[in-house]
Amino acid sequence: MIAASPMPDPLNARIKTMIVQTLRLEDIDPSSIKDDDPLIGSGLSIDSIDALELVVALEKEFGIKIKSSEESRAALSSVSGLVAYIRARADPLRLPPL
Amino acid sequence: MTSLLGWDESPSTLTPTDSSPVQLAACGCISALGNAAETHEALLRGERALALKPVYGSSGGDPVPLALLPGRSLDETSPPSWMPAVKRLMRECPDAPWGGARHPVFVTSSNFGVGNLFSFRRAGTLSHLDFGTPEACVAFIAGELGWGGNVTILSHACVSANLGLVLAARQIALEIADEALVFSFDFLSPFVAGGFHALKILNSEAPAPYQARDFGSIGLGDGAAFAVLRKPGPGWIIASQTMYNEMHHFTAFPSDGAGFAACIEPLVRVASGRRLWIKGHGTGTLEAGRLEAEAFGRACPASPLVGWKGSLGHTLGSSGLVELAVALESLRSGRIPGTVGSEAPTFSEKVSLGPIFDSSFDGVVCASNAFGGAHAALLLCHA
Repeated sequence: MIAASPMPDPLNARIKTMIVQTLRLEDIDPSSIKDDDPLIGSGLSIDSIDALELVVALEKEFGIKIKSSEESRAALSSVSGLVAYIRARADPLRLPPL
Repeated sequence: MTSLLGWDESPSTLTPTDSSPVQLAACGCISALGNAAETHEALLRGERALALKPVYGSSGGDPVPLALLPGRSLDETSPPSWMPAVKRLMRECPDAPWGGARHPVFVTSSNFGVGNLFSFRRAGTLSHLDFGTPEACVAFIAGELGWGGNVTILSHACVSANLGLVLAARQIALEIADEALVFSFDFLSPFVAGGFHALKILNSEAPAPYQARDFGSIGLGDGAAFAVLRKPGPGWIIASQTMYNEMHHFTAFPSDGAGFAACIEPLVRVASGRRLWIKGHGTGTLEAGRLEAEAFGRACPASPLVGWKGSLGHTLGSSGLVELAVALESLRSGRIPGTVGSEAPTFSEKVSLGPIFDSSFDGVVCASNAFGGAHAALLLCHA
């Protein structure tokens, strides 16, 4: 019998689409962004200004508050890290159910 | 390397003119802790001027660390609330026909009256426009202080004052001027504080981050200062100055810290044989703090390093001149304030957290950095 793999968090796909749209990464297919790849310093070429733009979009979309640049850097470690960060802080009503 | 202008120059030094010493005939400042002497004494006592205040002034917002002149509100006023303090400061400046043909004035700032421009846009009060552009704001100051028309306005982010010192020294060295006055001012406003808050480096999580605490906030402060430069003579001289721009990124430095070293190393060579200490920029951002401390530790291993923005806040484009005035007090008295507002462990063992009482130092390198990968430094010493 083959064990069923856990369902992916639907927030992952939403975050990937947000990254591509917010940063206008026209040549990137959202699904090509790997869940655990680092967002900063990876092939996406996200710099500190991009990161700030993304943070502002995330704050608006999910009603969260990221206080400092250091917290931004930690939150944007990867798509998986970002999803965990948002799940821990956002109002569940603003998030897709697991 | 030979440049397009035919100068034989390396990327880490400026034209030979910048190695020509100039006399620092007078220098003064105002900060949240008072004039240069008062600021120096307060720093020696370890006082911190930074206090949490609403980022948008009377409009509220997150509490952030700001160091305002005593009694001054963050809110913009028309006329500006800082002008009386500037007048008090400039009473310390020697009399001369400032703004005349042989007595140029260099005015530098990051912000000029941008807060007034924001106030005009927000409230529509026309009188704010009288101070809302660099030209209008400097014309107001020049009128209040009685300067003539030989006034040059400069801005280069947080090394603005250093650029003014370099250009003033060039005019002295080229004998275009008998004396030059460099005046720099940066007073905070909701617009300026709000900008740094939006960048997420000004927040309520003070103090600044350090090696063992990877989050925190820089502080911002009010500040203004002046320096009078003359041909070399007895007393204190600015022996050499460097400016270096890595042209790397809007907000970041290359991660190897090469720009910090490139700016300070020529000065260390000029200072050969002198016993130096270093007044670092010490903005309080985690990465820049690490790069600066490590680079200076390598370039000048025998010299203690201090920074004062953890008390005074970052006075932005004026910080190079405000902190020069305090460095002059320190060198003159042999009493050097430590890195107030920071805690151990530091990024380099050369960082001195406490004050240093040692009159055998005969020179200080004052360093500043800015957005865009800009670096500036000068060597202050006895003639």
